[in-house]
Amino acid sequence: MWIPVQINENSAEPLYHQIETQLRSLIISGVITEGTLLPSIREFAGDLKCSVITVRRVYQDLENEGLLRTRQGTGTFVSHVGDGAMEEYKRETVGKALESAVDIGRSVHCSKDELEQIFMEIVERKYREKD
Amino acid sequence: MVQMAIELRNVLKRRRNKTIGPLTMNLPKGYITALVGQNGSGKSTLLNLLMQLTNPEEGEIYWFENRYDSGLPLELRQTIAYVPETSITEENHWNAEEAAQFRQHWYPNWDESYFQDLMDRFEVPYHMRLSKMSKGERRKFEIAAALASHPSLLLLDEPSSGLDPFAWKIMIETLLKYMDENNATIIISTHIVEELRRLADYIVLMHRGELLGMAEKDSLFGTWTEVWVQVTDEEELAELSAELPGGINFTMETPGVASFIIEQFSKNEKRIQDLGVKVTKSRSLELDEILGLWTQGHRPILIDHKRGD
Repeated sequence: MWIPVQINENSAEPLYHQIETQLRSLIISGVITEGTLLPSIREFAGDLKCSVITVRRVYQDLENEGLLRTRQGTGTFVSHVGDGAMEEYKRETVGKALESAVDIGRSVHCSKDELEQIFMEIVERKYREKD
Repeated sequence: MVQMAIELRNVLKRRRNKTIGPLTMNLPKGYITALVGQNGSGKSTLLNLLMQLTNPEEGEIYWFENRYDSGLPLELRQTIAYVPETSITEENHWNAEEAAQFRQHWYPNWDESYFQDLMDRFEVPYHMRLSKMSKGERRKFEIAAALASHPSLLLLDEPSSGLDPFAWKIMIETLLKYMDENNATIIISTHIVEELRRLADYIVLMHRGELLGMAEKDSLFGTWTEVWVQVTDEEELAELSAELPGGINFTMETPGVASFIIEQFSKNEKRIQDLGVKVTKSRSLELDEILGLWTQGHRPILIDHKRGD
């Protein structure tokens, strides 16, 4: 199974954190579905050009979060993602994106009202397009 | 708990013109450790010591936590495979098939179908004398034969020298797969950055016979960042450098733009911003630059495996 994780070598974000964040969103957003067998630690490390130490750490963290489970001798699988995790993930990712939008707004001296107005306009337009 | 494949304690080897060591390090079992360093830094001597092709004047070497001062026992040798820098001449008059037969005699775990499979994948001629083969073909035979003996410990001395890019790719994939399916340990000396990126877990740097240390590959690659910032003049740059004691090579690039190199950028980025300095660009240093800084004494975060950690 090929996993679409993209490493940015020039990012200040540590490698293990980049991999973990992306793999977590792929699982929670349902791109990688429950029951999928992930690549072995050595295989994934070779693909991502990182060490097995990093991949092992990512798998262990996500296993502790309940997103992965390892069956001895068979490999690491994607677990059931609870609705709670899905909700939390939605809030977190959307929250993060909006926060950076607000930061940009403030850096060009938008008022609160202006920002709200722009936000509502975009929401209106996007949801109209979709219907 | 990490078990050690190899442990060296103050190992010293005197050569006529130079001394290698004292070397003290632990190489963990189940990992790929890469030896890097300039020509003549002692990498091949270290591998020869691990094969007991040469013996140290001082210090101790442990193989899988045992010492064998009076020679490696046959059963242990049968679990170690070695691809030397230059192939041994004793097999020159044989073709690949004959050489394989000879090796099969000495290696009870020899896997003939795996050997043939690798030879086919590498497209190495079976019935050509080894001495008549091109450098790359001989190299591919050596790698295939080393793996076919099913080693627990695989020592590779610049295995990819002479390989074309297609053969190189097959070698990388084969080694990764072998590591995946067997609880093996690889110690590889190499100059090829892409090889380190694809294979290594740990990187050991040697310099003029000395061991500069061992680092986790991913932490090593993220160690240094070159950062470009907006500053008006040398004076402002001097103030900034005083605030960043870990930074080096502070340079004015053009009026208004300066650059410097800093460790752990993810931790320092916020500090730079808090000082009111705008970062315009940053890039992680390449491995050759990182190793260059390391040999000059700018060490990355090193690790020291202790037995039973």
